[in-house]
Amino acid sequence: MAVTSLRATQVRAHAGAGLRPRRDNRAALIMLAPLLVLLGVFVIWPLLHAVYISFFTWSFYDPAVFVGFQNYLNVLTDAEFAGAVTRGLIFSAIVVPVQVTVAFVFANLVKTVSSRMATVMKVTIYVPAVISEVIAAIVFTLIYTHRGGLLNWFLDLFGIEAIPWLGDTFTALPAIAVPAIWIGMGVASLIMLAGLLDIPETYYECASLDGAGPWTKMFRITLPLMKNVILFLLITGFAASLQFLILPLLMTGGGPVNATNLPNLFILQHFNTDLYVGYSIAAALLLFGVLGAVSALIFRLVRSEKAMDA
Amino acid sequence: MRRALGRTLRYGLAMIFIAAALFPLAWLVIAGFKAKTEVVATPFQLFPEVWRWDNYAQLLADEAFLRSLAVTFFGATLFAALSLVVNALGAYAFARLEFAFKRTIWVVVLTTMFIPGIAIMLTSFIVVTELGMLDSMAVLVVPGAAAAVQVFFLRQFFLSVPTALEEAAQLDGAGPWRIFRHIFIPLSKGAFVVVGATSFLLFWNSYIWPVLTITDPELFPIQQYLATFRSERSSEHALLMAGSTLAALPVIILFLIFQRHIIRGVRLSGLK
Amino acid sequence: MRTSLIRLIAALTAATVLATGCGSGNEPSAGGRAEITLWQQKFTDQEDAWYRKAVAAFNKAQNKVRLKHVIVPADSWDQKMKAAQAAGKAPDVYTVNYSKVPGFARTGVIQPLDPLIPAGKWTGLQEPVLASVQHKGRKYGYPMLVEPSAVLFYRKDLFTQAGLDPARPPASWQELIDYGRKLTTKDVAGVVTAANQIDMAWSTWGLQWNAAGHLPITDDWSAPRATDPKYRQLLQAYQTLYQEGIMPKQPLAPYADANPLGQGRTAMMVCGSWAAGVLLQDYPQQVGNIGVAALPSFDGDRTKPTATLGGWTLVVDAKSGNAQASADFVSWLLAGDTTLLVEFFKNTMLSKYSPRQAVTEALAKDPAATENPWAKTIEEQVVRYAKAEPAYDWAISLAFGKAIEKALQGKDIDQALQAADAEIKDLIAKNNLAGQGS
Repeated sequence: MAVTSLRATQVRAHAGAGLRPRRDNRAALIMLAPLLVLLGVFVIWPLLHAVYISFFTWSFYDPAVFVGFQNYLNVLTDAEFAGAVTRGLIFSAIVVPVQVTVAFVFANLVKTVSSRMATVMKVTIYVPAVISEVIAAIVFTLIYTHRGGLLNWFLDLFGIEAIPWLGDTFTALPAIAVPAIWIGMGVASLIMLAGLLDIPETYYECASLDGAGPWTKMFRITLPLMKNVILFLLITGFAASLQFLILPLLMTGGGPVNATNLPNLFILQHFNTDLYVGYSIAAALLLFGVLGAVSALIFRLVRSEKAMDA
Repeated sequence: MRRALGRTLRYGLAMIFIAAALFPLAWLVIAGFKAKTEVVATPFQLFPEVWRWDNYAQLLADEAFLRSLAVTFFGATLFAALSLVVNALGAYAFARLEFAFKRTIWVVVLTTMFIPGIAIMLTSFIVVTELGMLDSMAVLVVPGAAAAVQVFFLRQFFLSVPTALEEAAQLDGAGPWRIFRHIFIPLSKGAFVVVGATSFLLFWNSYIWPVLTITDPELFPIQQYLATFRSERSSEHALLMAGSTLAALPVIILFLIFQRHIIRGVRLSGLK
Repeated sequence: MRTSLIRLIAALTAATVLATGCGSGNEPSAGGRAEITLWQQKFTDQEDAWYRKAVAAFNKAQNKVRLKHVIVPADSWDQKMKAAQAAGKAPDVYTVNYSKVPGFARTGVIQPLDPLIPAGKWTGLQEPVLASVQHKGRKYGYPMLVEPSAVLFYRKDLFTQAGLDPARPPASWQELIDYGRKLTTKDVAGVVTAANQIDMAWSTWGLQWNAAGHLPITDDWSAPRATDPKYRQLLQAYQTLYQEGIMPKQPLAPYADANPLGQGRTAMMVCGSWAAGVLLQDYPQQVGNIGVAALPSFDGDRTKPTATLGGWTLVVDAKSGNAQASADFVSWLLAGDTTLLVEFFKNTMLSKYSPRQAVTEALAKDPAATENPWAKTIEEQVVRYAKAEPAYDWAISLAFGKAIEKALQGKDIDQALQAADAEIKDLIAKNNLAGQGS
């Protein structure tokens, strides 16, 4: 359900104080009960069921036939699945660096403008984050209209000929990356800003006394101290961008020639049109594997042992 | 002189940021004022020939549209409240209580954070069908309420609360419930706003799940309702634009009301 | 304190339960009637209204069952249906495209209707259409309508402007391309047609027949036939149209949407016969300006198919708890009195055709029959030579659609056909299709 939930709240371990009071199984059980029941019924059980189904070929009507790892084999030997995953990685490689760069420039800019301007900027940059992917897809499709679209009209003012943004295999994927960046840049920018504001001002003052220029400060103070924040944004951004579904679904349907057929859309289209269900579930679970590996990496890289350590 | 130039440059850049964030929305609003054929007309027109309120008026007079907005608002509020209670209680237990199998349970909860929605779309649909929840508000509100991301976020926040306060309370004989109620809830308002707003937004913008589970048009959430303007054989572009504007407006207003908390909340997520 | 929290949880639960109650659609069935459900894909407003009226009439006409009617938007149909089927909650009756019937029959998703609808009701139906709802000799759907999938509509006023004879539509593909070149301006496209693999997969079935005399798989589905060199001309035509910018580089609208022609954003349009309905209803002032013709044949032989007879039928779910009543509804609606059906074809401005003789005859007597100025041409030049839709898996059609799309985007035509051939071969192996065809 919450395909984009990673985007919504991005968090990282915090070095909290470790109070270790007495055991309280009863209170804990009551407090945890709603959470565990809901997760168990609506997430964990469906996951186990999905794993079970993935070993069968099943039309929902005729009895399911056990096929072992055949579905997984079919997925893994399917060049189109490999293509979709590769495309997902390329898409991430477009979206994430741009997003992080935008966030970094934004955060540094906010620090230098007046506080009133800073507030206006912080609020406006976050506004796209509340817009649904459905609406973003609709707006950007109209902006990209070949003849009679806003973007090509604008380019025409400079004598540039109309470009079929969503109709060309080279431009379609970057064209879809733009709304993805647009939606995600608010959260990334604010996290980046938070990290930046946490660097004590005295560091910069000392550096100024030593005669350091703005570039030196940037490379000697800001970037090294922001390393973890940037890493965090890179990795969570990666996990989120690998899961975009509604943008390509509504903007291009995966075309032209699969140029925008991202992993989730690939799986959904198989789910919709296959006569048997095993393939799409196996593909989705393999994607879970990829995401799981990436997520494990998140915790490893931000050295957040505390997060795993209850 | 150089200073002034730098200043102009900075403010120019700031303006570009603001424009980039807002212009697609401005375009959305403007297109809502166009006639049916003007939205995709060639040659391109930036502004409508006549600014017409028809699309907005038609929607605001459309009972089904208003009902859909109301349903979504009601559902999103319920969803935010439910997920707040469920996730905050769980997060508190993980942050402050000691109990059997704590680490194992925590790892399981964390793992659910990374399950792609699409992997369990079908099987969770089977669950809600078995439970007889189809075509009800419950199917929109209950299944997604428990979210590991939020438990994680709230736990991090609770961990950052100094222990001195509770130690004093514990000496007075206060149990975990009392400590939660009297120490943690008052301290966590900012974090709660973030979690509540995130849930509200998630509900407001959800599309795939309602499409699967809601068949009764009276219960269509807003994103699903907007989709009915598009059909294979003809699309109501201008109406769709106006509808999208009206659908985005409530969440934007809500954000503006709570922006101080939300922006601070993002900082609170504790990145150092 | 603890109690207050519990109270809060209780209140929330109560609110949720209340909300559940207010939404759930299981009102007690009126007068002890059993309830059956019909899912109808959202078509045009006129069609949706007709279905509503028909359901109300059916509920009035008998008192055994109550039929619940649900309209499902096209783009969420597949997902919704799949999920419902998995959970055993599929509707009793639903609309389905002919091409999907054999696959559903093969996988046991729908049930044969010939045991449920008396033999006498199956007479007077066009053979090819009836064949497309059959699997292993049994009938799985009752044909409702046919719509040729590809017809050429064109703007006579724009023809005249470009110095072309409005009475002479293109008769060969070369001519279509030449005309297109002359008609293309900065703001008006020369021709619009399907431009993505999904739309091309089904809208070109007729042209696939036309170009090669067969579909890209053998009749018994045992081997691919996509590398037949005769398919090159089909891919070449699309490639030229796109690469020269005669057809828009980015679709003006989905294939099935006829608005661009009405709005004058294109001079020619390949679309299904249903386009006539939209044009007559929404662009009445343009009707005199619009001409219609069959798509050209690749070898000039006008008796070869250029379109397939797409269309819709009603089927009964294999798990329906009340199959007889569901079939009774299908029979009542489609095989009984013709009044309602005549109204359907009139409401859609005669842009669709009935495969049932009784309906065609009743329509012919109706004065409204002359309201669609294009109907006769379409019937005589397109429908007469059209083929039934293929019965094989959608993935096979998609593989060929992909090949055309690759050609469109300027890729090598032979390689595209070879890739389609390999993919079809793979699909045959993975889905055990060999020998399933007829």
